[in-house]
Amino acid sequence: MKIAEIEELEQIPEELVEKVEESVLNTFGSIIGEELEYIEYENGDKPLNGIIGNIAVFNTDHTLSLMLAIPKDTALYFSKVFIGMELPFESDDMGDLVGEVSNILAGDVAANVEKVGFRGQSSLPTATRGSDLTLFMPNKPPTKKMKFKSENTEFLLTMVLSESN
Amino acid sequence: MSKIRALVVDDSKIMRSAVKRALNNLMLADFEYVEAKDGEDALNKFNEDIEIMFVDWNMPNMTGVEFAQAIREQGNDHIPIIMVTAEKSMGKVDKALNEGGANEYVTKPFTADKMHKAISDYFDEEGNIASGDDEEEDKSFFKGILNS
Repeated sequence: MKIAEIEELEQIPEELVEKVEESVLNTFGSIIGEELEYIEYENGDKPLNGIIGNIAVFNTDHTLSLMLAIPKDTALYFSKVFIGMELPFESDDMGDLVGEVSNILAGDVAANVEKVGFRGQSSLPTATRGSDLTLFMPNKPPTKKMKFKSENTEFLLTMVLSESN
Repeated sequence: MSKIRALVVDDSKIMRSAVKRALNNLMLADFEYVEAKDGEDALNKFNEDIEIMFVDWNMPNMTGVEFAQAIREQGNDHIPIIMVTAEKSMGKVDKALNEGGANEYVTKPFTADKMHKAISDYFDEEGNIASGDDEEEDKSFFKGILNS
């Protein structure tokens, strides 16, 4: 897959979006043991009270940034299924957990997008906790927002394709 | 059953706990753990008492593969290195097993079954590290994939 100049792209190529969606469904399905469904993102969604896990899959030309926005209730549920106990939401361990979950997702995404020609490596993850968080990117690069839901979880994934600096 | 000294290397404390919990639940051996937060820290904590290592790939300062290469370059060829990582592209698996000198490759999120498949051959029935003298080491690309 050859990616056009970022300025010429109005949206992220569909084959990349599909591979990322597939990775989210597989990765989180394995972690939480529940079937997830993709829900069309609605702009009217409220600002987030929770944690954002940031990670990127990048090469010398392009960076695919993944921002995983996890509401508090879902973060608490992740901790229960991932380590067998509910972590305090305000703890450093919760940030560690969300970073690790982001890292696991990026590993799958990197392997999956390689199948459509985007060869890259994962960055290290970071996690940000806060309330009334709104995601935005300067210069408006091609962006895709996705929402996922399972029986006990609900979260957003924003993916952004930009030029690597 | 003597204690097996295992080095667990991961920049995530949560993941180090998850690896230790999984190993304890498998009951293949009685483990005593040394933890390290990246490859550099692991090199500092490594000593001749370490009998098996569980190593993440993507870490600050020194990656898991760089750490594995350094350990092998020191001549420690006999110590099993199990990569436990989110990296799952075929090129990465191949690199860890062949360039890094890792013995096994387990992808995150791992299950108890996946971990058991990867490491059970390294322990005898008494919970000691199996010598493995009779077995020809198989670092084939496909062995790693089978454990993924």
